[in-house]
Amino acid sequence: MAIALDRPRVASRSARTVRIRRAVGLALTWVTIVVALVFFLGPFFWILTTSVKANEDYFAYPPVWVPADASLKHYAGLFTRSSGARYFTNSLMISTLSMVAALLVSLPTAYSIARWRFGGGFLSMVLLVLRMLPAIALIIPLYIMYKLLGLTNSYLGLVIVYTVLYVPFAVWLLVGFLRDFPVEIEEAALIDGCSRLRALVAVVVPIIAPGLAVVALFSFIATWNEFLFAIVLTGIETKTMMVLVTSFTSGGTDMFYGEASASVVLGVLPAFVVAFMLQRYLVKGLALGGTKG
Amino acid sequence: MRKLAILAVVLMVIALAAWLGLPVAEVKAARPYEGTTIRAVVNAEYVKYSLSLVEPAIYDKLGIKVETEVIPLDPYVAKTLLEFNSGKSPWDLVMFGPSFMPDYGRHLEPLQPWIEKLKLDFAMDDIPDVYKKLMLRHEGKIVSMPYDGDVHIMFWNKAAFERADNKKKFKAKHGYDLAPPKTWKQWDDQAAFFHGWGWDGTDRKLFGAGASLKGNNYSYYWWRPRFFAYGGQYFDAGMKPLINGPAGVRALEEMVKTIQYYPPGVLLFESEEPKTMLIKGEVPMLFSWTSTGKRVGNEKESLIIGKAGFGIVPGAEIDGKIVHRPDLTPGRSMAVSKYSSKKEATMKVLELISDPEQSLKIVMDPKTIMDPWRNSHFKAPAFRKAFPGADEYLDAILKTFPHVVPDPILPGASEYMRKLSFEITEALAKRKSPKEALDSAAAEWNKVTERRGRDKQKALWSEKMSEMKSVGIEYHPDWAQKAK
Amino acid sequence: MRVGALVLPRKRWEPFAFASPSLVLIAIVIIFPLAYSFWLSFRNFDLSVGPESEFVGGANYVEALIRDSRFVNSIWNTAIIIGPSLVLELLVGLGLALLLSRIGRGRPIITALLAIPAMVSPVMAAMAWRMMFGVKYGAINNLGRQLGVIDVYFDWFSSPFISIVAIVLVEVWHNTAFMMLVLLAGLQSIPQELYDAGKADGAEGWRSFWYITLPLLKFTMMVGLMIRLIDLTKLFGLIFVLTFGGPGGTTETVAFSTYLAGFNDFRMSYAAALSYIIVGGVLALTLVFMWVQRIREMRAA
Repeated sequence: MAIALDRPRVASRSARTVRIRRAVGLALTWVTIVVALVFFLGPFFWILTTSVKANEDYFAYPPVWVPADASLKHYAGLFTRSSGARYFTNSLMISTLSMVAALLVSLPTAYSIARWRFGGGFLSMVLLVLRMLPAIALIIPLYIMYKLLGLTNSYLGLVIVYTVLYVPFAVWLLVGFLRDFPVEIEEAALIDGCSRLRALVAVVVPIIAPGLAVVALFSFIATWNEFLFAIVLTGIETKTMMVLVTSFTSGGTDMFYGEASASVVLGVLPAFVVAFMLQRYLVKGLALGGTKG
Repeated sequence: MRKLAILAVVLMVIALAAWLGLPVAEVKAARPYEGTTIRAVVNAEYVKYSLSLVEPAIYDKLGIKVETEVIPLDPYVAKTLLEFNSGKSPWDLVMFGPSFMPDYGRHLEPLQPWIEKLKLDFAMDDIPDVYKKLMLRHEGKIVSMPYDGDVHIMFWNKAAFERADNKKKFKAKHGYDLAPPKTWKQWDDQAAFFHGWGWDGTDRKLFGAGASLKGNNYSYYWWRPRFFAYGGQYFDAGMKPLINGPAGVRALEEMVKTIQYYPPGVLLFESEEPKTMLIKGEVPMLFSWTSTGKRVGNEKESLIIGKAGFGIVPGAEIDGKIVHRPDLTPGRSMAVSKYSSKKEATMKVLELISDPEQSLKIVMDPKTIMDPWRNSHFKAPAFRKAFPGADEYLDAILKTFPHVVPDPILPGASEYMRKLSFEITEALAKRKSPKEALDSAAAEWNKVTERRGRDKQKALWSEKMSEMKSVGIEYHPDWAQKAK
Repeated sequence: MRVGALVLPRKRWEPFAFASPSLVLIAIVIIFPLAYSFWLSFRNFDLSVGPESEFVGGANYVEALIRDSRFVNSIWNTAIIIGPSLVLELLVGLGLALLLSRIGRGRPIITALLAIPAMVSPVMAAMAWRMMFGVKYGAINNLGRQLGVIDVYFDWFSSPFISIVAIVLVEVWHNTAFMMLVLLAGLQSIPQELYDAGKADGAEGWRSFWYITLPLLKFTMMVGLMIRLIDLTKLFGLIFVLTFGGPGGTTETVAFSTYLAGFNDFRMSYAAALSYIIVGGVLALTLVFMWVQRIREMRAA
């Protein structure tokens, strides 16, 4: 449009071609986006409809795409027979606590790395290696240690593991935010007599809040999604949603496709919620952190 | 004044207590363990569901509540052993696969002392021999009760076998009458015959037969009935693996040849997929767990209800006699943890859930995949009327039980089985020849044996071997040649 | 760099104090278990044998690298899955990021919707795709049959090649969004003035993409690729639910075969040895990656 306004007369013909080309381009863009949406969200649709189907319809042909007599009985079954409510609250609690803990732990560390290059490259390297560790290298020793400390089957035990597992990614993101943060503002606060910690909490945190929100919610999701530690370190009181899903999927689902799909639906719910909550910050959060070394 | 008030309060409290105490006392007589909660651990949501069927009865009769923990099937054994190794366990009632008895046995409470102490009745005479002799004991003592029968029978769609046109065509092609297969040779012929056309009279493209061949032990269970029918055995007396002998190779070669007549995707099929294809009339025959029969008889989804046949898994013809060697898979048993602090209550629960009446509820429920395992289950009038053809179905199971073959119940059973199952799928996926695959499985088996101590394994195996012999299973090196 | 600009004096203990919460936690929760499992990797701890174990020296490592052809095979499989996954995730992610940066209204919500798969756990993703691929209940087969495209059933795991394709497809579905977000962020941090300047020099369309966007996006791409590479070496959940390593050993990854050693064979010591081999390998790979990167930067400078 801008071009057309700049040169009103000279190239009215070429302006039209440009406009048509733009329109076609835009249409193509949208078509591609719709195709991408179908590809990326289609599987969820099938899971959702399966979760409200009658048992007899799982294998019906022609397939039941949208069940006429949708019912929530599989969800009810999940909550009554499989103590789904307990699994769900456990997941909520553990993920929330780990999220808070991960923030509290990684923010000062990131600050230390960003401002003072603490640990040089070494600490960053340690964090990188942490991310590489296969769960299985940790799981048995952790179990043995937890058994001694009485931490198996407790929220605290899981929260500690998840916090530590998420710290590398959180620090990596936060270091980016903090490096981008104008030092002058902080210095002004320090000159006014604030301590470092106070300056961090009172000045830096409010400004990088969107970034922190991204880090926090990503950590929530990461914790929510973990299942191997959750299987080994939990007992009946602390089992999480992922364990429930795996209890349906591992070893023959047979006549429980409805409940299995319902548990998957509940399991992906937070992803949807978080995605909607973060839609404005999703990219911004990563933009600050992800792109600068 | 004050004294009076105190007296009044005391009187009221006593009255209240008396009023409350009376009914409590009454209930107590009926529910001797009122207020006790025991913890059970099982390996799938559907097992928890099956337990929930008898929970009301447990509470009514004993006053005990059962809290069931579910650990996903695949990491189940590792997680439970991990807990047991620490010398404690959060569970009272433990579900486990009796094939893994050598791994679990030392953590389980022997039943005999409690049978005497509490006058428990486990109706032992009502349990098939193979279970009684091979599956319930650790170091000679009974430590568990079956929960899930877990044997294979064969199912077929009568529409395929009784259609006149099919019979004519088959006879013309193979020179003998079309009938549900009795031998593996017939099974393979028929799978080839049925594959790829509408044997039900429609113009659909249907499949030759169903199977479950995923690498996490399914492929092994679909190979084994052939292997044993051809005279195979796991090890010789010196712990030398026999799986790569002529019987094993012949069994696997046949499977590799026949796999093309199975539905696409069969290499990753677990139990559910072929069952569904059977009841939807897409495969004419299948051998699988007996619980399949309950789906065949489920009028809401089954298209072959009333048109299904049930029988023993095919075998091999040896000297004019057919030898059947159907699978007994790990199964599920229930036991009381040695580390439980509520052994008495748990023993009572174990008695109740395995008693003929309660266990019948579990194995009859159409939604559970628990298989019947008591002799009385096979004869129960209610079960025999549960769906059209249930009679034939239960007779088939009854006929199957005396012939079943158990897993190699040795320390490391899980590893032996998994390694073999993997190599079998390698051959089925045509990444190795049958002989190569079985040779490398045998090499893996030797590694396991070495690691666990050859002499120790040998001693345990000779015990197992004689137990297997006592139910009629032994090594016949000549059968692989003879078998028809 | 800005960091140097911090002129105010600092107390010597401050950097350490600020970093201490995570240092302490890492020390407790990671260092001890790591040391312990390193120690275990030289023993023969087996869950089904009991809590006791003996010292066996380097036997586990020797077995893994020389005698365990299945583990070696799984290294190969992992590489075969990682390669195409990384390429496709980068290309599709870049494509989507470019598309998204072109639309105005609705961008946040569409970005969020496209990002959802990346927020779902591997187990969930695999479960969703198992229900897509399934022969009898799968949406793809159902739809294909209804439209008459598929004859009977299509088997997504019928040959080693197709199985790898299926796994890569799911992996791309699952994690492209991560790459897309990172790249979109990178795109937005490129100042508009550069494009304006480019336009004045006649760089439009493809040329501006090639000469402006791509060079400036290179670093972001590298970061994104490295994170994906590290995570892909831990590929486990998808395999666990979708194929269990099959058919045959076609889709067995290193992380999955480590799991099998530990949780199916109960050989925890062997599993520990395998995980140390994996960490060593990944670490070497990352260092090479970074080193190549640095050399290139030096050359460019």
